[in-house]
Amino acid sequence: MRTFTHAVLLLLMAAASTVSAKTVEMDVNGLVCAFCAQGIEKTLKSFDATEEVFVSLENRVVAIALKDGTDLSDAELTKAITDAGYAVVAIRRSDVPLQAIRDRVGREAEDE
Amino acid sequence: MKPHLSGLGSLALALFAASAAAKPIAFARGSTVMAEYGAGTMNEVQAFYAPRYWWSAGAGWTELLSQDGVLERDIAYVRGNLLAKRWNLPSAQANVFVWGGLGRATGSDFAGSTLARSAGFQADYETRRIYSAFRTDLQESEHFSHRIDTLQLGIAPYEHDYDTLATWIVLQGRRYSNGLYDGTETALLLRLFKGGTWVEVGATTDGKLQAMAMFNF
Repeated sequence: MRTFTHAVLLLLMAAASTVSAKTVEMDVNGLVCAFCAQGIEKTLKSFDATEEVFVSLENRVVAIALKDGTDLSDAELTKAITDAGYAVVAIRRSDVPLQAIRDRVGREAEDE
Repeated sequence: MKPHLSGLGSLALALFAASAAAKPIAFARGSTVMAEYGAGTMNEVQAFYAPRYWWSAGAGWTELLSQDGVLERDIAYVRGNLLAKRWNLPSAQANVFVWGGLGRATGSDFAGSTLARSAGFQADYETRRIYSAFRTDLQESEHFSHRIDTLQLGIAPYEHDYDTLATWIVLQGRRYSNGLYDGTETALLLRLFKGGTWVEVGATTDGKLQAMAMFNF
C-alpha cells in the first residue's frame, strides 16, 4: 500500500511539474514592426496548447499563455520563432497570468 | 520618335512608382494583397503567399498609361521572392531580398503580346525609428528594358507597438536608366500601418499623387 501511495504521489508531482508553467516569456531579436508581431502571433496560435499570445515590440518580448494541462518545450518554441523568421535569445517560464506580463511590460515601457 | 520616348519614359516611371516600399514577404504562412495607384499613370494589383518566412510566390497585374494618354501597357506576371539573408538584431532587422518573374505584356506601342522578364533585389535596415532601403528592379522584353534604382530613407516620429498606429515619413529618391528614360525623381511619402493594414500616400516633387494599400493576413 505504501508503495502504491508513493507511486501516486510521484505521478501527481510529475503531472504538476508539466502544467506549472502557465506562461512562457521569450526575448526575441528582430522585432521591429507590426508585421513581425503578426507573423509570430499567427505561428504561435497554430499550437493546440496556445491560449493567448502577447507581443511587445517595445520590450522585444513574446509571451504565450498555455492552456491548462498543456506545455510547449523550449525546442518547440525556439523552432516556431525561428521558422517565423526571428531569433530567440532567452526563454522564461512562470505561473503568472499573461495579463500580469502585459501590465509589467506596460509599466517598463512607461518608465523608459 | 521623341514623343514616343517621352511616353515610354513615363511608362517606365509609372511601372515602378511606389512599389519599392514594402517587403515582398510579410511573414510565414501569410498572404499579402496590394493595390496601388501611381501618379495617375499606373494601376497595379499583386497577391503573394509565403509558405515559409524566406520565400513567397504569387501573381500580379499592372496597367500602365503614359501621361499624354498615347501609350498603354498591360503586364500580367507570376513572381517568386526569396529572402536571401536576414540579420535579427536586438532592436533592428536587416534583410536582403531577391526576386524574379515571368509574364506577358501587351502594349499600344507594339503588336500582340510579348514575354516579359523581371529580376531585382532589395537590401533594407530598420529599427522602430529609422528605415532605409535600397532596391534595384530590372524588367525587360523584346520591346522594352528598364532599370530602376530606388533609395528610401524613413523616420518615425514615435516608436509604435503592435497595438498602436505606426507612422512613417519617407523620403524617396529614384534613378531611371537603360535608355528609355534617364533621370531622378524625388518623392515624400506618409506611411501608416497597424496590424496587417498598410496605407501609404505621398507626392512627387512635381505634385503627382502616389498611393498604396496593402493587407497582410
